[in-house]
Amino acid sequence: MSQSINKVCVIGAGTMGAGIAAQVANAGVPVLLLDIVPKDGANRNAIAEGAVARMLKTEPAPFMSKAAAKLVETGNIDDHLDKIATCDWVIEAVIERLDIKQNLYARLEAVKRPGTAVSSNTSTIPLVNLVEGRSEAFKRDFLITHFFNPPRYMRLLEIVTGPDTDAEVAAKVEAFADVAMGKSVVHGKDTPGFIANRIGTYWIQLGLNAAFDMGLSVELADAIAGPPMGVPKTAIFGLVDLVGIDIMPHLQVSLTATLPKDDSYHAIAIDHPLIRRMIAEGYTGRKGKGGFYRINKEMGRRKEAIELTTGEYRAAAKPLGPTGPAAKGDLRALVETKGPIGEYAWAVMGETLAYAAGLVPAAAADVVAIDDAMKLGYNWKAGPFEMIDRLGARYLAERLEAEGRPVPEMLRLAGDRTFYRIENGKRQFLGLDGEYRDMVCPAGVLRLGDVKLASKPILKNASAALWDIGDGVACLEFTGKMNALDGEVMKLIVQAIPLVSVQYKALVVYNDADGFSAGANLGLALFALNIAAWGEIEKLVAGGQMAYKGLKYAPFPVVGAPAGLAVGGGCEILLHCDAIQAHAELYTGLVECGVGLIPGWGGNGEMLDRARKAPMMPKGPMPAVAKVFETVSTATVSKSAAEAKELLFLRPGDGITMNRDRLLYDAKQKALSLVEGYAPPEAPEFRLPGDGGHVALNMAAQGFRKRGLATDYDMVVSDALATVLSGGEADLVDTVSEQELLKLERETFMRLVREPRSIARVEHMLETGKPLRN
Amino acid sequence: MQSVVIAGFARSPFHLAGKGALARVRPDDLAAQVIRGLIGKTGVEPADIEDVIVGCAFPEGEQGLNVARLIGLLADLPISVGGMTVNRFCGSSMSAIHIAMGQIAVGAGEVFICAGVESMSRVPMMGFNPLPNRALAEKSAAYMSMGETAENVAEKYQIGREAQEALAVESQRRAAAAREAGKFVDEIVPIETKAGTVSEDGTIRPGTTAQDLAGLKPAFDARGTVTAGTSSPLTDGASAVLVTTEDYARKHGLPILARIKAVSISGCAPETMGLGPIISSQKAMARAGITAGDLDVVELNEAFASQALACMKDLGLDAAKTNIDGGGIAIGHPLGATGARIVGKAAALLKREGGKYALATQCIGGGQGIATVLEAVE
Repeated sequence: MSQSINKVCVIGAGTMGAGIAAQVANAGVPVLLLDIVPKDGANRNAIAEGAVARMLKTEPAPFMSKAAAKLVETGNIDDHLDKIATCDWVIEAVIERLDIKQNLYARLEAVKRPGTAVSSNTSTIPLVNLVEGRSEAFKRDFLITHFFNPPRYMRLLEIVTGPDTDAEVAAKVEAFADVAMGKSVVHGKDTPGFIANRIGTYWIQLGLNAAFDMGLSVELADAIAGPPMGVPKTAIFGLVDLVGIDIMPHLQVSLTATLPKDDSYHAIAIDHPLIRRMIAEGYTGRKGKGGFYRINKEMGRRKEAIELTTGEYRAAAKPLGPTGPAAKGDLRALVETKGPIGEYAWAVMGETLAYAAGLVPAAAADVVAIDDAMKLGYNWKAGPFEMIDRLGARYLAERLEAEGRPVPEMLRLAGDRTFYRIENGKRQFLGLDGEYRDMVCPAGVLRLGDVKLASKPILKNASAALWDIGDGVACLEFTGKMNALDGEVMKLIVQAIPLVSVQYKALVVYNDADGFSAGANLGLALFALNIAAWGEIEKLVAGGQMAYKGLKYAPFPVVGAPAGLAVGGGCEILLHCDAIQAHAELYTGLVECGVGLIPGWGGNGEMLDRARKAPMMPKGPMPAVAKVFETVSTATVSKSAAEAKELLFLRPGDGITMNRDRLLYDAKQKALSLVEGYAPPEAPEFRLPGDGGHVALNMAAQGFRKRGLATDYDMVVSDALATVLSGGEADLVDTVSEQELLKLERETFMRLVREPRSIARVEHMLETGKPLRN
Repeated sequence: MQSVVIAGFARSPFHLAGKGALARVRPDDLAAQVIRGLIGKTGVEPADIEDVIVGCAFPEGEQGLNVARLIGLLADLPISVGGMTVNRFCGSSMSAIHIAMGQIAVGAGEVFICAGVESMSRVPMMGFNPLPNRALAEKSAAYMSMGETAENVAEKYQIGREAQEALAVESQRRAAAAREAGKFVDEIVPIETKAGTVSEDGTIRPGTTAQDLAGLKPAFDARGTVTAGTSSPLTDGASAVLVTTEDYARKHGLPILARIKAVSISGCAPETMGLGPIISSQKAMARAGITAGDLDVVELNEAFASQALACMKDLGLDAAKTNIDGGGIAIGHPLGATGARIVGKAAALLKREGGKYALATQCIGGGQGIATVLEAVE
């Protein structure tokens, strides 16, 4: 159905509108971006053009590639509105004023084709008001699509339909938003703030109020309301700084004006004088002079926090936050912690959960929608009902009751039960009728989590597991911390190959984590380095080379399905797959040089092979070598799957899945498509430039050194990389086999790994998470 | 010896490599259009042309396969006209002129097209397959990057950033003024591209101030003084001059610009290759029997401001007479094409400004200098 949207128009080139347009373009679909004609200046398209130009410089980038930016056509609503006749979906993202939106819709109605969907990105105005005065036909095509900022990175899309909205139109938009734009759709009802912002605003307001009331430091408040609750570490105050402190009063005004009179938000919507003063003086958060936190450049970039009681900045401190189980997700322990920590946790979380529980069914049809909205829209690890399950619905109800507060109906309904349960290997949720229902997996979505609930692993050890994901396809999952790779992973791969050869048709390498793999387990490696266990290290290198080549030459197709971070050894395993089906947000690269090493698990040869086969690569021994050297010596990491293709980590035929939830399914389909007539690849033979190429690469590196872009030790590391990529002692007329190149890679790696400055880099990375520039 | 003259000069507009208007034009097509333009404006009889000698610093890819012959064929020159590609890096097309002069001297022809071309967009500096010799790399600076040599010259001659930037500002000012006054119209052959006709330089940055340049970071050495603003930009362009005997030119009514009086080539230390013009110019002037004081026009290629200033100082050149319409920093430096441009330009300026002698000289990567002394023709 997504095919029926071939062109999109976004009206309003502010941050949201422009960002939505960019995401449409990221999907490979042409998009018309219109805004008003500026009051002055000759260029009538200046606002939309300016928005595109600005986005090309924004970090994190709204566009996934430069090619995507070219799909955005800019214009203005006075000269180009008639172009929407060619569009299948018009998204309105103009200023939040009812009269302006209504006027625009009247103009749209005159030019749009019947069946072209029109949606508003409003975050506050009810749909019923938006379509006032419009024809029945317009109302059938109209809905609300509420994206979150930044649209590329925030996965949530709230869709609200009205009583007149045509189900097919809504389905068409939803399918496109889901499959092409990669958004996870949550259906909300036509109530103020919909779901995520209604709960989110409530939660933030509680967090602010309680911190002011209790006189907590902002650092302590955030330390309590952040990671211990499964919330990003920006928590309350950090988040307000991020979105803009000046947004708060607007939200307050809008919600107090539209929420029902008995909504408990009215009681907490307090105007704090300090916040008013901060906004007036330009302290609006990260975009302004500072916020609750700031970096004081006059004090050597000192991180500071504001004292809520005095309004003065002071050096930020590391607070003594929750400890023990309370810090690690035990919510009951957290709210029962004695003193301000427990009090604050309860004040913020207890009330938020109660409020969220009260929104079913008024704002959302079921508990799943509420949880999804908060997980996808606010990056909470668990949604409110999942948190209630951990806290205990009964516990929450009783504590509310004891404090004389109303207990939401859903909590009473749950009683001693949980909102979610596993029954016969299936996840179920508690419906409004008090009965459990299966969580339905939409077509085209396959969750490894569901497979794991319903079955036992085919193989499993401490670092990896092998699963049967149906239709004769097996799935290799990494399970270590940050999915780091070690000897156990290699061992499991070696065990899996004969097993899959006999019992399965294909293998997918995939996991459900945010990051595919952070690469080799450096902690283990450092331990071996410190005791000079060179033999063990060489065994690990050789074992990895053998395991990866085993995958490459296995008699069945192997598809890598990475999402998020896939670096070092995590990138190298992908390079050995027959094909890659990547999530659009793929951050992959060979980053070994950053820790004073070079790729050691066959990555050099695989990259050389990709580079020499890349279209437009000039002939001769050097271009492919120089290209790989440039990418690997600088530890370049792609900022999207599209960029990974440009960097040659992905091949032209590799697939990109926009919606994270659809990745495993797509990868499995890709693997199955390769089964018929599958033959493993033939081992490549290389013609490498030898010493002349080695000298040329070193000269290029020296240029970087001179310009201050590389350190002394970078020269040593890049020389090692140049040795391998140029073929070492090989002469220009020699043929270098894959095995010979692996040997050279291994020997060079082992030489480098003994260097104290490499070890210092590894150590530093483990301690700080940042590369040491020695 | 036969008197040899420059009987015509043409060039393409010069554009920044990569992002300029000529980035999508093949270098062979670019040079062919310039040669056609030169033939058109001089009216020389194509069948009389002995040889097309084309200078190119990285003759590979689209500039490979004896590109001179291919350019001749693309330009629809008669099949009888020869084609030879010459590589002396930046001195390539000036060498082409010197070769033509030598051929004339030994009686091997009367009419030559001496051209140069470089698409720095389409063939990278160092070429696609740089494979240096380790032994040489270890014992000499033969492979040193040009930017580094410019730093070495700045250091050796104690030429600071301010002085370099002042020269760059002046180069930009002169080039912008010359363009404004239409002084490039005569020499530029408009180039047809897929995106339309290109008839003006895209390299010049009018209004460049010392303040603009002072804000740039060093381009080659974090602690150095040479920036992108005081270096010639990577450039796409082609140039051509018509070299004939004076007799032939007079007999056929060709527009004689100047006589080639003397030429020279010289080697110097690779690490300060920018000083190459000093010895080569001194040699050429001695052969011509003149001194720097006799020069009315000088075209000294500005590969870098530092080396141009060092050469001007040691040669005792008059800044007012040097690069009158701006130099390589403003106009650009498409390596193989620069030699023919500055000889053609010096000849044209000698005619335009009046005077007796002109010098065209440039430095060459790897450590060489090349020079041509021109003499006005009555």
